[in-house]
Amino acid sequence: MKDRKVLSRDPRRYTLPSERALGADTHSYLPELCDQLQTGKINRRDFLRQAALLGVAAGTAYAMAGVPGGDVIGSAKAEETPKAGGVLKVSQRVQAMDDPAIFDWVERSNVARFMVEHLSRTRSDNITVPYLAEKWEASDDLSTWVFHLRQGITWSNGDAFTAADVAHTVSRWLDPAVGSSNLGLFGAMVEADSEGVKRGIANAIEVIDDHTIQFNLKQPDLAMPEKFYNYPTAIVHRGFGVDYDADLAANPIGTGPFELVRNDVGEAAILRRARDWWAGPFYLDEIHYYDHGEDTNAWVAALASQQVDMIYRLPSDAHESVAALPFVDIHSVTTAQTAVMRFRVTEAPFDNLKLRQAVAACMDHAELLEKSFQGRGQIAENHHVCPIHPEYAELPPLTRDIDKAKALLAEAGYPDGITIEIANGDTEGPWMTAACAIFKNQAAPAGINIEINKMPANQYWEVWDKAPWGYTAWTHRPLGTMVLGLAYRAGVPWNECAYDNPAFDAALDDADGTFDVNERKKKMAVCQKILQDDAIIPQPFWRSVYKAANKRVKGLKVHPTLYHQFHEVWLDDA
Amino acid sequence: MIQLIVRRIGMMILILLVVALLLFLINEGDPTLVARSVLGPYAQPEQLNAWVIENGYDRSVIVRYFEWIGRIFAGDLGYSVIYKRPVNEIFWDRLGNTGILAGITFVIMVLIALTLGVLAGMKEGSPQDRAISVFSIITTSIPEYASAVFLVGIFVFWLGILPGTSSMTSGFDPVQMILPVLVLTLYGFGYIARMTRASMAEVMTTPYIRTAVLKGLPYRHIILKHALRNALIAPFTVIMLQINWLLSGVVVTEFAFGYKGFGALLLEAALRRDIFVIEACGTAAVFVAVFTQTVGDLGYTYLNPRIRFK
Repeated sequence: MKDRKVLSRDPRRYTLPSERALGADTHSYLPELCDQLQTGKINRRDFLRQAALLGVAAGTAYAMAGVPGGDVIGSAKAEETPKAGGVLKVSQRVQAMDDPAIFDWVERSNVARFMVEHLSRTRSDNITVPYLAEKWEASDDLSTWVFHLRQGITWSNGDAFTAADVAHTVSRWLDPAVGSSNLGLFGAMVEADSEGVKRGIANAIEVIDDHTIQFNLKQPDLAMPEKFYNYPTAIVHRGFGVDYDADLAANPIGTGPFELVRNDVGEAAILRRARDWWAGPFYLDEIHYYDHGEDTNAWVAALASQQVDMIYRLPSDAHESVAALPFVDIHSVTTAQTAVMRFRVTEAPFDNLKLRQAVAACMDHAELLEKSFQGRGQIAENHHVCPIHPEYAELPPLTRDIDKAKALLAEAGYPDGITIEIANGDTEGPWMTAACAIFKNQAAPAGINIEINKMPANQYWEVWDKAPWGYTAWTHRPLGTMVLGLAYRAGVPWNECAYDNPAFDAALDDADGTFDVNERKKKMAVCQKILQDDAIIPQPFWRSVYKAANKRVKGLKVHPTLYHQFHEVWLDDA
Repeated sequence: MIQLIVRRIGMMILILLVVALLLFLINEGDPTLVARSVLGPYAQPEQLNAWVIENGYDRSVIVRYFEWIGRIFAGDLGYSVIYKRPVNEIFWDRLGNTGILAGITFVIMVLIALTLGVLAGMKEGSPQDRAISVFSIITTSIPEYASAVFLVGIFVFWLGILPGTSSMTSGFDPVQMILPVLVLTLYGFGYIARMTRASMAEVMTTPYIRTAVLKGLPYRHIILKHALRNALIAPFTVIMLQINWLLSGVVVTEFAFGYKGFGALLLEAALRRDIFVIEACGTAAVFVAVFTQTVGDLGYTYLNPRIRFK
């Protein structure tokens, strides 16, 4: 066993009266955290996130933060009394329901989420809380994580949920033969073997007892709880892929309350509540997913004719028409979803720093947000860390400066201007072309002529990490360190910029291994500044995401990654 | 005539083989891409290589092509990586669904088009002719994706009397057919109507019609008994071409209404690179195109003696 130093606990330091009554103790870092909250050094969101990181139960953390109610699994807090029963109909793509470890679309996990569940859960407010795991602890150096599992949970086949299930699931992720993207996500538990094939480290997963499991990492990883709620990380039964085929539709054994009655790819998936939920009440009897194809107009038309109660997401060009429907509510959430006009820094002419800086200096972020996305989001700052990320550090605002751009362009060796081409596949919608066109106008006065290479979305995904300059959409991730590690660390598979800056990698390692939120912010400021200065990703804005639902649907919260969490949803006419 | 039929059928088979070869080369020319499409984006290079060897994709492309042709003749269309089941199980259902949509549209469209075309062509230049012509041109010049949005705006958002999608998730519902049929009919009827009108107008100027009029035959009798039969020869080929369009060209309409048809299947397969579905749908679409063209040519030859005896 790897020598670990789990943060020691001192029950005398800080204990709430209610906790003392329950015989609970708390982490020694909590008083410091509470001080930071009370003195305004951190906000409530940061406090809650950090408290969760220390394994404090969500309800307790909310009580400490002085947030009334909070969001504890299984307890709905709507103003009205929820009604049980009814069928929720959702328009969403229906895809194969085979092995959760190889899910490549959020939609697949949305159907599976009501059958198989996760160790942690990132809520709609971007705070990660315990789920199948009751709590967790990290060592000082964040390289050993202990997860304590809830007791009393059973699988739908009657078996008890234990650490063996978690160990089996995580082992499958780290087995290259399974083909799971989690192999990359949990890189801290992976190493290359003698043949260069990446696979799980031998002692990475350690079962302590039936309800305790430990993960031994080769490097610090702050985001373990968040990673356990990524869409391909549902925990499956210990016999999955061993005693029976790794096919959830054929072998729907889960800890969740629903069973899969029907899953016809491209047509419909029907889930029916088959048993009580271990976490509390679940109001819906059935959840039906109907596949209306790729055309977002068809989704909206299905909602308008009340064929469905809700659509997977509301396309940005349908806001006005949906807002006019008297029986529909539009729900939104601020997210870290974005798209970056990233340069591939190994390709000419974008290997020229001054040229990249000149292009970045032309960007008017506010105008791009307003005109291409109708202001539905917030401006970004060319470093891919969002204000909703707990470790976001505020840097001086960026302003458009054409004179500076001209000077930089001249320094770059293009005093008479330059023509450059951006590849765009409208992978998230036509607003991407609009953004490119607006940026073209913004850059023109500096002598930078931008040509837009518009291509089909699937074609763009074939060149997204090859095109010299491209406009790539990135989904929301709960932590800034997660996305920087995935996208900008030297040599990682999704480093579409081919960015290789040892100073940046070192700064990110430093931030990744720092627990104190204020200290981490200072270290993230260094990372953010390096990315800004190197001008590898002119990034116009962060997008809010929207859902539209019939007014009969109550208790709905939009998740930043469009994950479906319906444990508080109920139907008014049930 | 028999020689013509044999020649036409031979040509049809040749075209099919050539297009099938192109389809095969595009989709299966690179064995690694096939393995990638089957095993998914996160498969390791070793797994891809193993799959290629295990499934015989390391052999020559020509050998694999003829094997594939053999399997198609045996009714094996391959396995869909998206649907996770044999292509056969999806393909025929989807083709049937498009057949229903196309059949209903075809009957309604041809009836409306011939009626309006004849009415317009009977009196060339009359207000009736001009009104029908303008209406036909307007509807035909509006693409399906635009008319679909327009009609959904009226009947779903404004009036609220029709379902906005036609996915038939709870079984066949004739009401869900209304909007897609309307979109296809509006787009397709104008062309046939204009062809019929031109043909009818030409027939109406021929001496035998003038003679019939001067003989004092009733106008209705002249149109139905003398003019119509000859006027329908030219639109026949156009009508045959519409069958091809209705089977493989309805992608946009099926897409717009979430209708689970052949076109939507092909589009989905193309977007997600489901190669065996692409090949099956592509081959079927080419077959329908070549077959209807051949039937059109033969039918036209049969109906028009001037062509037949040349």
